[in-house]
Amino acid sequence: MQFKTLLKTLPLLMLAAGLGSAAHAADVKLGLAAALTGPAAKYGVAIKNGFTLAADEVNAAGGVNGNKLQLIIEDEQGKKEEAINVFKKLIFKDKALLVFGPTLSNSAFAADPIANAAKVVAFGTSNTADGITAMGPFTFRNSVMEADVLPVTTRAAVKHFGIKKVAIIYGNDDAFTKSGYDVFKGTLADQKVPVTTTEAYAKGDVDFKAQLTKIKASNPDAIVCSCLTEEAANIILQTRALGMKQPFIGGNGLNSPKLFDIAKGAGDDTIMGSPWSPENLTPANKAFIAAYKAKFGSDPDQFAAQAYDALHVVADALKKIKLSGAIDKDRIALQQALPSVTIEGATGKFAFRKAPAVTGKEVGYDAQQEAIVNIAKGGKFILLK
Amino acid sequence: MDWWDGFWSTYNTVIFSLGVNAMLALSIYVTLSCGLLSLANAAFMGIGAYAASLISMQTGLPFPVALAVGGALPALVALIIGIPTLRLSGVYLAMATLGFGEVVRVVVLNMDITGGPLGLNGIPLKTEWWHIVLLLALTLYILARMRRSKIGRAFEAIKEDEVAARLMGVNVAGYKLLAFVIGAAIAGVAGGLNAHYTFTIGPGNYAFENAVEILTMAVFGGTGSLVGPTLGGMILTLLPEALRDFNSYRAVVNGLILVLVILYLPKGIWDPRRIRHWVKTFSQRKPQAGGSN
Repeated sequence: MQFKTLLKTLPLLMLAAGLGSAAHAADVKLGLAAALTGPAAKYGVAIKNGFTLAADEVNAAGGVNGNKLQLIIEDEQGKKEEAINVFKKLIFKDKALLVFGPTLSNSAFAADPIANAAKVVAFGTSNTADGITAMGPFTFRNSVMEADVLPVTTRAAVKHFGIKKVAIIYGNDDAFTKSGYDVFKGTLADQKVPVTTTEAYAKGDVDFKAQLTKIKASNPDAIVCSCLTEEAANIILQTRALGMKQPFIGGNGLNSPKLFDIAKGAGDDTIMGSPWSPENLTPANKAFIAAYKAKFGSDPDQFAAQAYDALHVVADALKKIKLSGAIDKDRIALQQALPSVTIEGATGKFAFRKAPAVTGKEVGYDAQQEAIVNIAKGGKFILLK
Repeated sequence: MDWWDGFWSTYNTVIFSLGVNAMLALSIYVTLSCGLLSLANAAFMGIGAYAASLISMQTGLPFPVALAVGGALPALVALIIGIPTLRLSGVYLAMATLGFGEVVRVVVLNMDITGGPLGLNGIPLKTEWWHIVLLLALTLYILARMRRSKIGRAFEAIKEDEVAARLMGVNVAGYKLLAFVIGAAIAGVAGGLNAHYTFTIGPGNYAFENAVEILTMAVFGGTGSLVGPTLGGMILTLLPEALRDFNSYRAVVNGLILVLVILYLPKGIWDPRRIRHWVKTFSQRKPQAGGSN
């Protein structure tokens, strides 16, 4: 145990010595739990980049009320036990003012109760699952739920193509694609669009001909696809191979350049809804994309954009409060300042909205944001006008 | 005591996992001690976790009842599937039990009561440190008594030579089934304990990867005695946490340590014969060093 503490304190001491007098006590410590290794790393690394970029910007502009922001980044590997351990470390050991993350909704279900019990804000930037913010008043997120995006997408698609009836295909063993399917099902019922047939596949499938043949026989006007990118791309290719020309309608899972790497031109006319688009040319978004490219040498994605915005949301809330230095008080002050924040970020206009009420429980805050509907043309997504 | 409070609130989940993973390693040790290579323990852990969580969430029954069912249900399932599958041996048994694990995962994925791919969320926090200490101690006590009993000797005989054991009049099929059922019950209780301090469980938590992880803990520690798996489970829980300062190289260092141990300590960390050998060479060297003075 002593050896362990030594192992942990030694690098900290060295770091402190290295920074010397430059590091003053007024640094505001913000924790970030992200999946930097493991299968969810592609999201976690983008999230980390988005946060670092925003924190550097805020600090370069003189910090918040003269205080520099200090990000403490920990890897939670996309595992629930790790997410709990990292949250506890950031809250109890590093005494972070708030914790961003974790990357996956499943990890959030494990880690957010810890933050709520400790009265520390847990701020998710990529948790879209239902019920995350029902866990307590200290849960916040700026990730837009599928339940907000998909109805807008569906309505736009129905209008654009004059759709009368659709078929559905979805992955039934993945939390993200399954909950996307549930939302689509409800949306289609609400908007009175009949469903000709519903087909499912399992993660890792590569041959979808059996499902697609059934869909072909039912002759829909469009195919609703609650899928992740790789599978969606294969489904689109195989649909075209069967001689079907129907357009696809999908959610965030399709929002990746990888879709066109695999499906090429076959993906054209796919309609996709997302909270962020590189084609959305607001000044804030243009500045974000340029700064991201300059710093990391690659194109940003939606996860980086949401992380970037999240830090600016918190910086804005910090401007409104006076830090007392007593961490428990400051944490609660931050929680009370956050809900009133509105910003114009990379993802557009942003505000918080109280989560749907749960009896006998206080709830947190969801994102109140417009979804952007895109259509694929010539191997990339452009805004649907 | 401030120091202790801070330490405890930061690391209590890690400390809980020490005990639970030791129990998981012991659960696979039971089947290994009977010469069975079964990879179904992650699935049994899952059955126990789901059963215990559903009882806590949907009924007002006390935690001990939930845990008891979490141990009993996997034992029952083990009894049912054990009768046909335990006729297999070696890698064939490993494959069959792996297949069973996959069946459990897909069943859980497609049932409504288990929450499908979303799993169960909002499981109440009920596990206390003394639950884990008590149950781990109980497991160790029972297994230690069993080792020296008729059952333990029978397991040993079957492991060393199944045919000879049968000729000696040992009920091979019966004892194998017993080992399988005991292993399943321990894994199920561990699963129930784990679910009640991690707030959420899902079908992905009890898949192939976890089955291999449990086996690694037992083999890493050494399967010759009870100390081995207990140590193995604990060390493999602590290692990633202690290596946190290596940041992105954490997984690499973790893997490297595993490889080194398997290379230089093929019988696991706890290998009494090797330790005795080291002690002997060390104490022999000492008087020589003294003599030269």
